[in-house]
Amino acid sequence: MNQFLGPLDPSGRVPPLQQTRVASFLVSVHGALARQLAFALPGQFKAGWQTELNTQLHRETEIVSLLLRATSWAPDVTTFYNTLIWEMAWMPNPVSGVADHRLATTIDIAALGHAAHGAVRPAALLPVEASADDPFVVALRRIEFESSRLIQAQIHFLKGDDLKPVRDAVSAAVNDRHRQVRKLWTDVLTSIGIDRHADDE
Amino acid sequence: MPFLSHGSHRIRYELDGPTDAPAYVLVNGLTQYSELWAAYRDALIAKGFRVATFDLLGQGASAKPELFISQEDQVEALRLLIEALGDGPIFLGGISFGALIALRYAILHGDRLSGLVPMSAFAELSPQLMLLGNALRTALILGGTSYLQDLLLPMNLSDSWLKPLLGKLDAVKRQGWLVNDVYALQNLMESFLEFQPLTPQLASIKTPTMILNGEFDFLTPRSLHETLRIHISDSSLVIIPNAYHAFTLEKATLTADLLARFAEDVMAKRWQGKQAVWIAPDDAGGEMMPFPAGFDHLRAIPVPRTTS
Repeated sequence: MNQFLGPLDPSGRVPPLQQTRVASFLVSVHGALARQLAFALPGQFKAGWQTELNTQLHRETEIVSLLLRATSWAPDVTTFYNTLIWEMAWMPNPVSGVADHRLATTIDIAALGHAAHGAVRPAALLPVEASADDPFVVALRRIEFESSRLIQAQIHFLKGDDLKPVRDAVSAAVNDRHRQVRKLWTDVLTSIGIDRHADDE
Repeated sequence: MPFLSHGSHRIRYELDGPTDAPAYVLVNGLTQYSELWAAYRDALIAKGFRVATFDLLGQGASAKPELFISQEDQVEALRLLIEALGDGPIFLGGISFGALIALRYAILHGDRLSGLVPMSAFAELSPQLMLLGNALRTALILGGTSYLQDLLLPMNLSDSWLKPLLGKLDAVKRQGWLVNDVYALQNLMESFLEFQPLTPQLASIKTPTMILNGEFDFLTPRSLHETLRIHISDSSLVIIPNAYHAFTLEKATLTADLLARFAEDVMAKRWQGKQAVWIAPDDAGGEMMPFPAGFDHLRAIPVPRTTS
């Protein structure tokens, strides 16, 4: 097991199968967030914070679009099965303990967003030798950088005073989504020979 | 890699040195991780100490609570680690955020400590420190961990340390960037949102205390260390020459030597804090020099001390 993607080819590019597995996962989770945001977005904004939803929707769409173009795709027999597992995992799961169904669903979307933007760090997979000119390498760096800004909306919402009365339920939901995303992400990485803690053993 | 459990959270720690030796427990700064104490491990073990280091909650290989990390939980993690060390003498050192956690521990569990070493420390948020903290949090939010590191490196380290590394700063930053996550660092920073000054509780610390402050530290300047010196009865303030906020990284050999000498003095009952002000030597093993009598150690120019 290695800690980083590779071995790189002589021009510093990540092997296509690794690109495919990583990009497939990211397309799935960011695509799911884009769909959920599109569904949650009202036709007419009534509050200033709703503008952030619009930004989030388009940033998530941008990530999917970027990966589709920047990845060197390779045939992968696991794609169908993996995608099925991932898409089922991202299905909305309204938070228990919150009576307002719409709010419970919104918390879940935010929890999934927090996990996708916080627990998944694709740029941290890149070895220092990765080519700065390779579109896939640049895409991973851009996605991680963008994620640290996108997560701010989830942090603001999930830690906000409005949710104080249901803070335990919110924390549990975020914790569950993090566990779920980490597990699936770790499975992807393991399938391509990566163990993020390989050096710590 | 051993872990302690605090509720559902795991705290990664490392113990080195003889099990029956007096122990030094070292607490990381906010953006740090326990491997940064490696030089201290080697130096202190060579002087007969046991050394315990760990990643705070939200750091490195310890658990990273998703939404909230309280400073009380950090103190509890520290308590668990110290409890695991047995009944021998414990010396506790911490840098910056880690110094704050060490102070909190000393306020609550001072009886367990033989000595305390707050480094680049503060017990309250002065307007400057609060605004700098807010700005650094904004930097993290807008630019990620890497941008935060870009700001902290020149703020906290000297030209002489930075100059030979200018061409390889990415390598210097990489491990910290790899092991620390934005949301977790942000949670650590946001543990100050409801912060109440510790100053009123400092007088309860009766433990021998050596306060270390870099000469040029402007993130936590002399005045913040002075609060500790004034309120902790058995304390001394030691100024590290030509040093900035992160002198534990820059001057590890000197600092480890100061830590060992402090502990040896305490155990030999030679330590006398007397709320004195000292100037550390430039190099390990050198003589400590009393701050010149009659001059104000809070000033950057030689101004006679005014009596109040």
